[in-house]
Amino acid sequence: MLLHDTAIPRPRVTWRPATPTAWRGSMSRIGAIVRHNTILLLREPGPLASRLILPLAFLALLHPLYQAAQGHDAGARQAVIATLVTFSLLGLSIVGGSILTERMWRTWGRLRMTALRPAELLAGKAVPVLAAMLAQQAMVIGFGVGVLGLHVASLALLMAALLAWTLALIGMGAAIGVLARSLAELSVIFDVGGMILSSLGGALVPLTAMPGWVRHIAPASPGYWAVSVLHAALSGDAVGTVRASAVLLGFGLACGVFAAVRADRGAVRTASM
Amino acid sequence: MLAAQGLVKRYGARRALDGFDLTVQAGEIVGLIGHNGAGKTTFVEAVTGVVRPDEGQVSVGGVDARRDPRGARRQIGVAPQALALYISATAGENLRLFAALAGLHGRAQHQAVARVAEEMQLTGVLGQRAGLLSGGQQRRTQAAAALIGDAPLLLLDEPTAGADPQTRAALLEAVRARAARGAAVLYTTHYLPELTDLGATLAVARSGRIIARGSQQSLLSGLPGELRLRFADGSETGRFALPAAIRARATAVDGELRISSTDPPADLAALLAAGCSPAAVDVRRPGLDDLYNSLALEAPDAAA
Repeated sequence: MLLHDTAIPRPRVTWRPATPTAWRGSMSRIGAIVRHNTILLLREPGPLASRLILPLAFLALLHPLYQAAQGHDAGARQAVIATLVTFSLLGLSIVGGSILTERMWRTWGRLRMTALRPAELLAGKAVPVLAAMLAQQAMVIGFGVGVLGLHVASLALLMAALLAWTLALIGMGAAIGVLARSLAELSVIFDVGGMILSSLGGALVPLTAMPGWVRHIAPASPGYWAVSVLHAALSGDAVGTVRASAVLLGFGLACGVFAAVRADRGAVRTASM
Repeated sequence: MLAAQGLVKRYGARRALDGFDLTVQAGEIVGLIGHNGAGKTTFVEAVTGVVRPDEGQVSVGGVDARRDPRGARRQIGVAPQALALYISATAGENLRLFAALAGLHGRAQHQAVARVAEEMQLTGVLGQRAGLLSGGQQRRTQAAAALIGDAPLLLLDEPTAGADPQTRAALLEAVRARAARGAAVLYTTHYLPELTDLGATLAVARSGRIIARGSQQSLLSGLPGELRLRFADGSETGRFALPAAIRARATAVDGELRISSTDPPADLAALLAAGCSPAAVDVRRPGLDDLYNSLALEAPDAAA
């Protein structure tokens, strides 16, 4: 049975769509997502607080070991770098968990029904995490300088290095967030990924003390470049800092683009507990 | 306001949309009905750009939704079928987010939240976390998020599923008000009386395409009603010989004779002429349930 009726009433059109400039509109949407994600991050402050406090406890407990093994200055530097790289990986879980949670709540798909671009959504989610992670790293560096006598040759290089590493982490976190299909899967990725990034990169144990094959494959790990950029920045090596930062930003950009493309194709709408 | 033509969306060998055509004019409420898997939700997702059609055209307010999906989305307020709320944020924070994404800021945003909250009877719970709201309040919050931007096109995908009467009444009133102000509304539902309350025109989907489209009156006019006769002796037929033309359409149910009929007065006259003397006659007009059953439910293979 096929029925069609063409006599449908056609009332007057009374609306015109608003047309804000693209730039203003984009900034406005990103701002809305930033505000909302800041609210969500602060609504459950426990995980954030633990990520800020735990690195300091780790550093306070383990720095004697590093300083006994490598001497006062080198040991303090290795202890700070080990703490920065290892605990900044927890920031990865904030980004990935934030995206996965949205998918479980179905709000990711809901936001995709608005005028938001995937890149705007990812950027809006990244800003509060960026601030939290930079705060974490500032506390670790501050502890290192104030308590352990860490020498910072160039504050500007160190800030650039931390920013590059943090952006790489956010890109990787976003990629993991769109890939994982459940919290259990996310947990496995963090466990394995965390071990690879921190151990393989030479954060916990210097690469010189590790087997030769590890030294050969270490550059494949972003953790290796994180350790490199922090060593270079702390010692005032501008060329080394720029080179390692560029690699880290490449990692982050590749992962971020992957996440945005996957999000744009609607492949990440929902997830399970 | 919304015009879709020949939309096709394939998932492997299955066609979720298979030549889906639908237009919704400004000020019109279109009730999109059909069984589960008929393509209703996929169509909503295609209009919003969440899924990309393999073929066909869809435009919103003259904007090609395939070429400029964000331009189309700017004109759409949508309430998806599944609840999609930030459960650790308050109802008010949820609404403020979607108001901001609709381009409302500052005083305009504050006023819009207050207005839509009052409209959807949420004023008292704006400060409560969405996860702690009742099911009906969550439904109303989701609907409020769709309405808050005063979009010219509303896509409401089973917005009252599982909702209480209070939620249903509030939403229907809000939808009627939006349409009266010129919004085009696409409303999918399995609660067919809602469409009568809304005065909606109908689009019936089956197997990924629209198989019937028009006003309720025009679509119902082609459907048979029912003559129901009871007899004084308690028998189901009154012990008389049914005319042959009517016999094929008659069934005896619960002590009464039921005759499917597109022209009840003519059939009743024929029965009386044949010697039938019923004690009571009831003429039942066709309703949306009959339309739904006659059109949508003919395709059990499409259920998915």
